[in-house]
Amino acid sequence: GDAFLPAPQSILILSTNMKRFLTWSPVFVQGATVRYSAEFQAKYERAYANGRWIPISECSFTTATMCNIRDDISDTVAYRLRVRAELGATRSLWGTMKGFFDRITTSLTPPLLRVLAEGHHLLVELADMGPAFKFRLLYWKKEQQNNVQQKVMREVSSVVHLDSMEAGAEYCVKAQTHVEAINRSSSFSLTQCVRAQGDTSMSL
Amino acid sequence: TAGDKISRSGACRVSLSMAEIRAGFTAVKANIQSRDPIRTLSILSHPHSLHKVKSSDRCCLTHHLFTFYVDKVFKQCRTKDSFVNRKISSIANSFLSARRKLGQCGEQNNCVCGEESTEKFKQILANYEGLNVTSAAMKSLGELDILLDWME
Repeated sequence: GDAFLPAPQSILILSTNMKRFLTWSPVFVQGATVRYSAEFQAKYERAYANGRWIPISECSFTTATMCNIRDDISDTVAYRLRVRAELGATRSLWGTMKGFFDRITTSLTPPLLRVLAEGHHLLVELADMGPAFKFRLLYWKKEQQNNVQQKVMREVSSVVHLDSMEAGAEYCVKAQTHVEAINRSSSFSLTQCVRAQGDTSMSL
Repeated sequence: TAGDKISRSGACRVSLSMAEIRAGFTAVKANIQSRDPIRTLSILSHPHSLHKVKSSDRCCLTHHLFTFYVDKVFKQCRTKDSFVNRKISSIANSFLSARRKLGQCGEQNNCVCGEESTEKFKQILANYEGLNVTSAAMKSLGELDILLDWME
């Protein structure tokens, strides 16, 4: 007869910076390769489509215990996820994630920032984080802490010129991300300071 | 995501993931429109385009149209294609979220239903009910870009 296949457990969504990975604990069957399939159900399906579940093809018949569900979860509505194990024709019951997932709960990390001084130019480099992200940069002359300038940017394909610096002066920069779709921002990156070329010493 | 637009409907401004909705629709548009054999009829644009609606009537008509798609259209558009179903689900949930926001705003800003928007919406329903339900739903879904263009 068909072997009994337990349902996958510990079904979670790990979400950082709007990326979303569904994970679950493996089901072990001695000497066999167990596969898994996952489905989602959002608010619309619960309210208007008799609680229909929709297969996620990237997470169908996979031997992995994690899959990327970035494309399916849109807008800020509550999603439910479920996973089942498959071995040949045998299917386990569905294991359903406890609670709901809403993309507004993603954790946002500060952007990767590099500050450069090129002659008198204050430049920054930011790691691209995808179309959902805007960057807010704050920069100031080190000795004028209360005169902080701001620049908001979306495209970060290359080095960005922030400002021209006074010769020999030190300037500091920090940055955070903002995601319009969920109207949330990350914490700020560590502050980085650089000194402009040129001599500040006074010959008396 | 990128291009999270503020759709202005009269007094109401609703933040809508327009880029996501367009991307989802574009991914399945050809598939959906290929299921609509009646090319000579339009649900949204017959006899007059949405663009003729006065701005004061936009809020009410937008809310009506969100409700129309959520209540009537999306549920009739289930296909055997999992990819298409996923994209429809994504759009449907975005519309559900947007309708809730617009509804909340409408209550505070009395989203007035003028004669024009009422008349226009009646015409859309008449166009819809003039076809069998699956054809009408697929045609309406296939015309989503007409609605998105008007909202933008």
